[in-house]
Amino acid sequence: MLRSQRIEALYALLFLAPFLIHLGVFFVFAFARTLGFSFTDKTLIGQSYQIVGFANYVQLFQDPRFIAALTHSVSFMLIVTTLQTFLALSMAAILNQRLRGITFFRTVYYIPSVLSSAAVTVIAIWFFQKTGFLNTFVGWIGSVAPVLLAFLAIFVLAQALQVGWERMRGLPVTFTDPALATISLAVGLALTWLLAALGVVVPREAQPPEFTWLTNSDRFLGVPIPLWSIIMLNTFTTIPTLMLIFLAGLQDIPKSIYEAAAIDGASPLQQFFSVTVPMLRPVTFLVITLSLIGTLQMFDQVALMGDAAPLDSIIVLAYYVYNNVFSGEGRVGLASAAAIILAALTFAIVLLQRALGISEKAH
Amino acid sequence: MAAHVLEVKRKLDERYLARQRWARAAWVYGAMLALAVFFIGPFYVAYLGSLKDNPLEWPFRYSFAQTQPKNWSAAWRLGQLGAGNPWTGGFAPGANIPFQVSYFVEDGQEPQTPVVTVPTRRAGAGLGAIFDEVQAAQYARVSAVQEVGRRSAVVGGQPGQIITYSFTITYEGQGPRAARLPLDIEAPRGQVYYSATLDPNRLERRGRVASWDSAAPGFLGYTFRNYVRVFNEARDPNTGASFFLRWTLNTFLVCVAVVLTTLLFASLAGYALARMYFPGKNYLFAFVVFTMTVPAQAIFISNYLVLRDLGLLGSLWGMVVWSAVGAGAVFIMKQFFESIPREIEEAALIDGASPITTFFRIIIPMATPALGALTILTFQGMWNEFFKAAVVLSGQQANYTLPLGLSFFRSAYGVAGDWGLMLASAFLSMIPIIILFVVFQRYFVEGVSTSALKG
Repeated sequence: MLRSQRIEALYALLFLAPFLIHLGVFFVFAFARTLGFSFTDKTLIGQSYQIVGFANYVQLFQDPRFIAALTHSVSFMLIVTTLQTFLALSMAAILNQRLRGITFFRTVYYIPSVLSSAAVTVIAIWFFQKTGFLNTFVGWIGSVAPVLLAFLAIFVLAQALQVGWERMRGLPVTFTDPALATISLAVGLALTWLLAALGVVVPREAQPPEFTWLTNSDRFLGVPIPLWSIIMLNTFTTIPTLMLIFLAGLQDIPKSIYEAAAIDGASPLQQFFSVTVPMLRPVTFLVITLSLIGTLQMFDQVALMGDAAPLDSIIVLAYYVYNNVFSGEGRVGLASAAAIILAALTFAIVLLQRALGISEKAH
Repeated sequence: MAAHVLEVKRKLDERYLARQRWARAAWVYGAMLALAVFFIGPFYVAYLGSLKDNPLEWPFRYSFAQTQPKNWSAAWRLGQLGAGNPWTGGFAPGANIPFQVSYFVEDGQEPQTPVVTVPTRRAGAGLGAIFDEVQAAQYARVSAVQEVGRRSAVVGGQPGQIITYSFTITYEGQGPRAARLPLDIEAPRGQVYYSATLDPNRLERRGRVASWDSAAPGFLGYTFRNYVRVFNEARDPNTGASFFLRWTLNTFLVCVAVVLTTLLFASLAGYALARMYFPGKNYLFAFVVFTMTVPAQAIFISNYLVLRDLGLLGSLWGMVVWSAVGAGAVFIMKQFFESIPREIEEAALIDGASPITTFFRIIIPMATPALGALTILTFQGMWNEFFKAAVVLSGQQANYTLPLGLSFFRSAYGVAGDWGLMLASAFLSMIPIIILFVVFQRYFVEGVSTSALKG
């Protein structure tokens, strides 16, 4: 090694020193110590502790609360990732247009992701109360359902008639033709208004809400209702971020491919599935990985719910670890074992991504 | 002839295509508007809720006393009459407040004069309840209630009369200033509250009793009553200082300190990783990227013990030390330094400047765009940081940051179901981030999409 190279390496070390010290203490040492604690019976208040081997891990899998936390975490991760990837992609596809004012809308959509999870969760808990806005809204939809259904029926009928008429004239219009849909919309609105004014279709009387979201002990698809509330909340706040990542990816797809597909007669829907989805595969991959890792860390929403929902119906791994350290005597050993399992799940996802990522490149 | 037909057909096609384009644009705008309602609507209805006296009322109203301009001007005027303060009102010596209230009486019933009282009322159910406040009831004098008019009317399908009464509340002599002037008006059975100078905060017993938190509220004290309560009611039992102001200050201090350390350490480390040669550089960088995926919740136990050994638990410094520099920030700075041309710094190095001089004199001034983006992202991240605050600051209410404070409010006021105060504090805590977002939205939006794609 040359002298100048050695000097440069020394300078690099000097520049990196603050970061490396921080990384060393708060990551490397922290991780090693957590791994070490997971094989001991250390508590937060106790001074001495002993090595107990894998006893903590065995105990974890006998703790029904841990099993609940693990299943909640995994189902939360899978459901939220599926929902938000699907929704974010659909929204990005709608937004991927060169229209005036699109930047403004993109900015507006991003707001739920910018705000603090604490503030958004407080608002969400109000939203999910028995007489909160969600039940109000659901009740409103239920009461105007006859009007909405009438409108939808008229709209579809008008569209079908128009498309049929145009096809009889020999014009190759698709069922989703936007210009005809605009006319159908106007016809639908006018007729529905007429029917409502004549009293043929009337909204039903709104009933006081009965359904509780946060104190409900029922399950839907094996997941407790309170956890579904958090799933809805988390999906809502993370969609914008993922949508923006998808948008950046969509804009990298050359316009010419779409033009070629359009010339071959592909409908917008066919274009979406035959051009957009395959071209977006790397971005989708990234979004799914980010989402899997992010949902596994979910903590804030559960902690803020506090006594608004029964703990056993919303507990997840991250909160299980925290709760074991900061309640009772502070079972650091057991909590460390759970933390290691949380970390192991994350590693598994990263490794899986790496493995699949390589095969992706090989194709 | 054939050319003519083709010409017509081409024109038709053009018109057809233009029509398609316009219709498609209209549908896309409609969809974008619907999405905007989907993302912003929940916050708007929650904001309406935060203005209400009872945010959990059913059915949900979009228009209520606090949204009506009539009440805004009345509250403004009454605040001025009560304490010369049109914004937050009050009740001070020399106050002379005329007040009118109307009751509906069905035909066949004899109207009776309602009873007006200024009750002694403690503020809120939560933290404010332990403080002694000046009670307006001790100083207020209510004049005799006089009938000033009656007219016949049909209310709810029942014929009857609307009778208007008038009285004044005065503060004679000297004394302390009371923050609020609570007012109850109770009418005998059969009479129903109809209207008043200022709409009441609560109607009880089938509209017989109308109750005001303050009859001289001022504009903010009436419309943004819950927001004013966040500052007035939630106070430190030991010092009497407002919790919310303290938490806001704490959050600012932590954010500024962390932004400064992050800017310095992350740009130093990012520069070394991007430009300098040393053995194992690529392995180190791969490791840094890897650490970004490990959740803080998986490794916080040791960090908690380290901060405890350093005596930093419950202190804002604990937050700063733990968050001093993040792998993500180093990553952003490294990406940036790799994108700027090498020639400038090489010229400086050839001139004999040391790497440290080069870095601070030449590199840092060139890095202002990246440093700006990093400032905003770090500030936002710290402002919203909940987990680290929950680990480090637990139990030291005066040292809380805003997210932890909101969690504390949620448990302190959640029992009593005081949603007005909880929602108001949530919205107040968002204001700085909203301002930051509106001013620097480009950094937020671009930061997400570009850094994610490069990673």
